[in-house]
Order: sequence, then structure tokens, then C-alpha cells
Amino acid sequence: MSRRPPKRKASGARTTTVVVLRLYIVGGAPNSVQAVANLEAICREHLPDGHRLEVVDVLEHPQRAMAEGVLVTPSLSKLSPLPAANVVGNLSDRDKVLLALGIKRAAATR
Amino acid sequence: MLLQLAKDSPEQRAIEAGEIDAVIDHTNSNVILLPTARQALLAKASIANTLLAGLPGKERQRLLADFEPLALRFGDVLQEPGAPIRHVYFPIDCVVSLLAPAGGGQALEVGLVGREGMVGISLALGVEVSSVRALVRAGGRTLRMKADLFTEAFHQCPRLQRELYRCADAKLALARQTAACKCFHAIGGRLARCLLMTSDRAMSEEFDLTQTFLAATLGVRRATVNEAAGPLQRRNLIRYARGRIRILDRTGLEEASCGCYTGVA
Repeated sequence: MSRRPPKRKASGARTTTVVVLRLYIVGGAPNSVQAVANLEAICREHLPDGHRLEVVDVLEHPQRAMAEGVLVTPSLSKLSPLPAANVVGNLSDRDKVLLALGIKRAAATR
Repeated sequence: MLLQLAKDSPEQRAIEAGEIDAVIDHTNSNVILLPTARQALLAKASIANTLLAGLPGKERQRLLADFEPLALRFGDVLQEPGAPIRHVYFPIDCVVSLLAPAGGGQALEVGLVGREGMVGISLALGVEVSSVRALVRAGGRTLRMKADLFTEAFHQCPRLQRELYRCADAKLALARQTAACKCFHAIGGRLARCLLMTSDRAMSEEFDLTQTFLAATLGVRRATVNEAAGPLQRRNLIRYARGRIRILDRTGLEEASCGCYTGVA
């Protein structure tokens, strides 16, 4: 009985996980403006390799907020990679956002 | 309504910390703005509408309390001819077409309201029933006020009265001009004028306008709109595809327009 050695990834091949985020806001409202700025800064610093951010204005698309179970705005949802996570508020507590997105732990073990 | 949120939930804590702008009321399918966000939005919006921006601060503040910020979509109907006016609208970046019914489902555009004006101006002239269909031509934001609150405010604000009389006169002039334009000017020039007027009010060089809607606006057949848009496209003045229009050369389009185009009144 022959055993095949386990396949190894080719050296140098790197998989990049794209983080998919959705931020529900009220366009022009103070906390929403702050949340967008805070999140953009976090993404620039911690997710330079790839992220997809969709900003949904709940005044323009109220039906989406209803269908997607949003309770308050600003509200940030991490859709991918799993597990899904949610943070509410103006995202000024950076540690809380990084923990919720699973970024802080990843940064510590890097 | 706020009781829907569980005690000590993250949402409730964020509200108490002042980090929340709006609460989604799932029971009534409504977005409820919290006071700070509401005030901030109203203050910004009231400056974006030039009619309101022209009012002294005190009168504008008096009106702000009764306004409700709202997002409108293409195709929303705000008023119907013969129906009571329930709300007035001060557009921020949406454009509303005023259509006079001509029977058989047909209508002609006799006015256009954007950030320079108000929908429901008949109330200021003492008429409580609309004579036109007010149809949203380009979606966007607006401030809305209940008709009875508007009438009360109107009688208390002399400057608002003056501004609205001036605005009503401008709308009347536009309707007269539109009537003359339809009789005497070629469809190509009228189409160019229509696109420029929409662009001015939407504050954008790109907007949605279906062929059907344009035909109704100009009082012509759809095929005629197509024929009129062709030369404008060939001269690279506009790009028109799948109901989306982009103005490529504003100066050229102004030259192609009939003499009735005068910019925002």
C-alpha cells in the first residue's frame, strides 16, 4: 500500500481573503458621516489587500433595512468571511470594530 | 417604539451613547430619525433648497420644526389633478415634473420643480386642490410638510410669502413659455431645453429619463423622441442609452436648445 505525500501549496502562492462589509447609514447625518470616515480609515490601515464595502442609505432604501433586519443606523455588517458580525454606532471605538471584524486577532498572530 | 430594542442590547447602549442617527421601526416600516440627526439633516437641507435658503434665519428655523426629510424615487406621484394638496415639498436634489392632463391618459409637462422651488405652491395662492399631476422625474431628497402646517407657517412668515409669490410668478412664466415653445419650436431644440432644465435641477450631468417619459413630457410620440435624440448624439452633445442620459457637451447642447432655455429661474 503506497501513501502519497500530502500536496503542498506552491511556495509564494498567497490566498487573499476579501472582507465583504455593508454599512447602513443615513446620508449626511452626523454619526453616519463619522462612521463612514472611521470605517474607511480602518479599511485603509487593516484591510489594504482587499475589501468590498457597500454603503446603504436607509432613507433612500428603507426596504433593504427592513428586509435585512437592521435595527439602528449606523450599523456595520461583516458578511464574509464567516462568521458574520455586526457593530452599531459611529465606529469610533476602533478596538471594538477590529474585534468584531476578526481583524485584531489576525493582526496579533501575524 | 424604542422599547422594541432589548434592554442593555448593543443598539440600546449605542443610542444612550449618542452614536445612533436613526431607528428602524419594523412594525410600521418606517425610518425614525433621532432628534440630533433630524436637526442636522434639516439644517443642511434647508440651505440646499434655494427658496428656503433665501429666507432669514429666524423664519427658516420656524419652518424647520415642521419639516420631514424624505427620499423620493423616479415615478412617485406627489399630487393628482383635482385631489386635495396634502403635503408641500421643497426639493433638495430631486426633480418633479408638473403635468397638465389632456385626456386619454395623455399629459403635457407645464412645469418643472427642483431645488429652486416648491411643489404645492397653489396653497400659497389660496387654492387647496392641485390642478396638475406632480410626478418625480429624477429621484432624490426633499423636505416635506403637511398642508395645514404649511398654511399656518405661510401666514406667519412675510418673507416666505414674498418668496413664494415670486416663485409662483416664475412657474407661471415657465408654463406660458412652455406653451409658446411647444407651438413654435422644433422638437430637437425642445428636447435639448428639456434635458438642460432637468440637469440644472438635478444638479447632475447624468440622469434617468425613459423615452416614454420624454415623449409624455414633450407631448410627442416615442419615435419622435428617438428621431430628435439622434442628431444630438451624433454631434456628441449627449449619450442616451437604456433610459440614462449623460450630457457630454453642455455648451453645445445650449446652442442646440431653442431660445426658451434660460437656466434655473
